[in-house]
Amino acid sequence: MPSRRRTLLKVIILGDSGVGKTSLMNQYVNKKFSNQYKATIGADFLTKEVQFEDRLFTLQIWDTAGQERFQSLGVAFYRGADCCVLVYDVNSMKSFENLNNWREEFLIQASPSDPENFPFVVLGNKVDVDGGNSRVVSEKKARAWCASKGNIPYFETSAKEGTNVEEAFQCIAKNALKSGEEEEIYLPDTIDVAASSQQRTGGCEC
Amino acid sequence: MDETASYPPIEPSNFDLIVVGTGLPEAILAAAASAAGKSVLHLDPNPSYGSHYASLPLQEFTSYIESQSSDSSPISRPDTDSGYTRVGIATRPMYSSVEITSYSAEPLEQSRKFNIDLSGPRVLMCADAMIDLILKSEVNQYMEFKGIDGSFISDGEGNLENVPDSRSAIFKDRKLSFTEKNQLMRFFKLVQGHLEAAAGGGGGEQSSESRSISEQDLESPFSEFLSKMGLSPKLKSIVLYAIAMADYDQENRDVGKSVLKTKDGINRLALYHSSVGRFPNAPGAMIYPIYGQGELPQAFCRRAAVKGCIYVLRMPVNSLLMDKASGSCKGVCLASEQELFSHKLILAPSFAVQSPFPHSSPDTRDFRLRNTTEKLARSICISKHSLKLDVANCLIFFPPRSLFPEQVAAIHVLQLSSNVAVCPSGMFLTYLSAICEDDDQGKKLLHAAINVLFQAPVSGSSANNNSAENQSETGDARPALLWSVLYTQELAKQFQDVLDNIICTPMPDGSPYYHDLLGATEKIFQELYSGEEFFPKSTSSEEGAGQELED
Repeated sequence: MPSRRRTLLKVIILGDSGVGKTSLMNQYVNKKFSNQYKATIGADFLTKEVQFEDRLFTLQIWDTAGQERFQSLGVAFYRGADCCVLVYDVNSMKSFENLNNWREEFLIQASPSDPENFPFVVLGNKVDVDGGNSRVVSEKKARAWCASKGNIPYFETSAKEGTNVEEAFQCIAKNALKSGEEEEIYLPDTIDVAASSQQRTGGCEC
Repeated sequence: MDETASYPPIEPSNFDLIVVGTGLPEAILAAAASAAGKSVLHLDPNPSYGSHYASLPLQEFTSYIESQSSDSSPISRPDTDSGYTRVGIATRPMYSSVEITSYSAEPLEQSRKFNIDLSGPRVLMCADAMIDLILKSEVNQYMEFKGIDGSFISDGEGNLENVPDSRSAIFKDRKLSFTEKNQLMRFFKLVQGHLEAAAGGGGGEQSSESRSISEQDLESPFSEFLSKMGLSPKLKSIVLYAIAMADYDQENRDVGKSVLKTKDGINRLALYHSSVGRFPNAPGAMIYPIYGQGELPQAFCRRAAVKGCIYVLRMPVNSLLMDKASGSCKGVCLASEQELFSHKLILAPSFAVQSPFPHSSPDTRDFRLRNTTEKLARSICISKHSLKLDVANCLIFFPPRSLFPEQVAAIHVLQLSSNVAVCPSGMFLTYLSAICEDDDQGKKLLHAAINVLFQAPVSGSSANNNSAENQSETGDARPALLWSVLYTQELAKQFQDVLDNIICTPMPDGSPYYHDLLGATEKIFQELYSGEEFFPKSTSSEEGAGQELED
């Protein structure tokens, strides 16, 4: 089925403010990191070509654009996601405890056809901080939670040092691709208002 | 309300602009102000985006309509130490005479599969300024669209005929006589010639003058001009109501409602014709956003957020902070008791502010939108079959007097299918609307149209006695109704900015597209920020993430 959906995969990144969502995306796509934290402004989505079994796919990774700060992400953000990445900060218990809320929020808003098997990936970020001494969420605890939610793949990452970022996103891409989401029948003949818009003529076309 | 309580305080506490309500005009204004570099706070008391322009699941739709059908009194608050007078904000009812009929439990069982537009029936004309804005503001990257398959005009007795809206549609039409085809083709050519002459001849050679329509004709009623051009009554009706989409009877001048001038009629025709074929894979002049019109305000809000606008849903504003000396608004007080400051404030039309100054005339200080004499009757019907065989998404027009002699307003109808992800597969969603003077007149109109289009499965339609003649026929081709709602919406057309730093946005209008609404919204922006560009061309590419991180 030669649909657009087969080559474009939508990935959304969720988690509390300040856990490193934008930094992770940026490290993966642009191989860049900045220590200066600013609440996300100007981040929309990043795209990256990935190859899988001899085929090229475009991974479209959506940032929350700061709308997560007051839990004000609209349903449009969640729609049509092929994979949902849940990020917490291993140095913040609250950000870990909130994973459950983010997961539930996603399932309610996106209402995937098969919620039991929808692909999530969990990232425990900022493992580099203070040489690991300020860590409050153990790997064991995180893995136990992931196991209890249907064996969600888990990675410990450092967006700053690039640790595990490539591996995590490869897993994300693979899961997005295998996502059981039904090929929506309406996608093949959607209208691309940007690509196909021809110059407007003043008069009648008739 | 414990959710609001759990929010951290909003920082900073001073903004260039505070916007309350996330309807399309508010969303566009928030995005435009953010794009112009203003610091913007955008609030909404609801848990989802869109206010009166939202697309909602069936259950949420009915509770929203019902919650917005009654007055809420403002909560009076003690004044602050900061020297401001607190003025309570109330919500005024925007919907009335809500009448829900459920013939089957099926739709409600799949409530979340519906995305029901509060502003329907509404489509996007491919050549409309709205599409240009969608492209310019880059919100097109958050949205997807599908084509509307066609337009039909009803004869009031259940027959739906194709609207011959382009050269090829005229050519293929089977109902028009040879003479009529010729008339219409000649008329379209005349209009095209006029537009070309107008576009080409600014002040130069006037050789094409013969092809122009005279100034006198341009100022005359469009219906008279159509007669003058020799169009048959049937063709006139098609041009007036299905292409120019006039709201009111244009031929019965006693009705005296808005008469479409030839120049406006020509402009609408031009918009329609340049819409046909703008996008090669759109079958007609119109497209529709997948998941509903409510995607538009959300897309503009995301655009605003990307440009730095702060979003807080589920956050009611309890009162405005008024400067005791000057009487101007300095900010808002939230349900969380936090005070936030801004010299400019935009309010969705359902908010009403109580007059804080008894000494001034109530007319100017109570800046509730004046109720115009017009209202909008709206209806939404759910069925299992299409109104037209093999057609998924289409517009249908009932011209004035097509249903009964006293029918002065045209009825606009939009049927949508599951292929635009607004209802469960196998179901159809049909919107109807008509301008009316009061709730009863509006209901009568829409009931008559619904009776022509649908059959009620049980005899529960006691109010519907207008067209009972074809009710009992065997082999009735009309789809059976599963669920329906009728209601009346206030039409607050003109925003008023009586307190000069507070502006109210408009309610969804009766037009089936966005042209006028966008015009009104752009005007608000110019009033707020005269001289600033409405969405300057973005310098960054779509790969904007991380730019802030690089400095």
